[in-house]
Amino acid sequence: MTRGAEQLSDDELIAAILGGDRERFGDLVERYQGRLVNYLFRLLRNLDEAHELAQEVFLKVHQVLDRYDPQYKFSTWLFRVAQNAAIDQIRRRRLKLVSLAQEDAEGESRDWDLPSPDRGPYGHLRNQERGEALQSAIDALPWEYRELILLRHFGELPYEEIAQLKRMPLGTVKNKLFRGRQMLKERLADFLVD
Amino acid sequence: MRQRHEVYEEWVEMEADGLLTPERRARLEAHAAECARCRDERRALARLGALLRETEVAVEPGFRERVVERLPAAGWEGRHPRTWRLPFAAFALLGGLAAALLGGTSAQLGPEVSVVAALAALGEMARAALLAGAGLLGASWKGVGLAMAELLDSPLDVAALGFLVLCLDLLLISLLRRRRPATASPPERRSTVR
Repeated sequence: MTRGAEQLSDDELIAAILGGDRERFGDLVERYQGRLVNYLFRLLRNLDEAHELAQEVFLKVHQVLDRYDPQYKFSTWLFRVAQNAAIDQIRRRRLKLVSLAQEDAEGESRDWDLPSPDRGPYGHLRNQERGEALQSAIDALPWEYRELILLRHFGELPYEEIAQLKRMPLGTVKNKLFRGRQMLKERLADFLVD
Repeated sequence: MRQRHEVYEEWVEMEADGLLTPERRARLEAHAAECARCRDERRALARLGALLRETEVAVEPGFRERVVERLPAAGWEGRHPRTWRLPFAAFALLGGLAAALLGGTSAQLGPEVSVVAALAALGEMARAALLAGAGLLGASWKGVGLAMAELLDSPLDVAALGFLVLCLDLLLISLLRRRRPATASPPERRSTVR
């Protein structure tokens, strides 16, 4: 990271980028890349796709950076763009599935299952089994809980930002996160004991 | 002070999110020492948090550099004053050179030919160029007018041309009406997927 970038707020970095300092956008990318890739990976279940989409999200945000409204947090905006992009990606994937299923009905043998959870990222970890169990538990959550859990735990957004992003009352966000965590706990009970 | 158990349950959640004040944390600890339910809940949530953190995936090395390399020129960059720095610098350099040349030449020619006189001559040249341009433009329009008069020598020809222009206008209006509204800006929220 460029010297001093870690001391600058998001708004200061954006002001510098809009002032013509392109390198500062790299600082912004570095600040959010981990959270964004992890968030997208949990939604898409494919690490390559998550990287690809994270890159697209950053490019899209850069294209319209002059329209960023500083009354909202940059992270709220970034994750809203990311969520929209991920939803579009999932829809495209489903459309592809439908068309492949039709081809299948016409007699052609095709593998049209959803991509299985990417095993690669856990390959080098001791806790591969735990990672896969966590992913299954997250996938099993109803969407309304899943998206909040991902925004909170992988996007690391505070409650207030999630409420703003989802246009929900703060109390609803807290309640849904509580319910979501309870569901995760139940599904992962075997991994949460001594 | 004794509190309702539900309050402590909420504090357990807040603690897992790192939102509990030290004072409340101390009170929660005192309560959990006596309450097995809260103790188990705290332990389970702490483990869930740890599980979420330890299964995070790493971002590919060089991700930031790839994003910055792929950044296309955004529309707003072209409008930024920084973009004009180079043309301004070139203009100032050329102006400086011209002034130096004019100064040197006037010194050789003697005091009667001053820089002011040279600038006035340049002004005259610019005025002559403008007049010539305006004359050419006028002549072109006159030529077009003559050609039209030659083509539209009967009222029938004039009516046919009027009809043609009207049809083209209607076509243009219908095309403009059919155009879809612009896509929503990135901060807009998409509907969810289930």
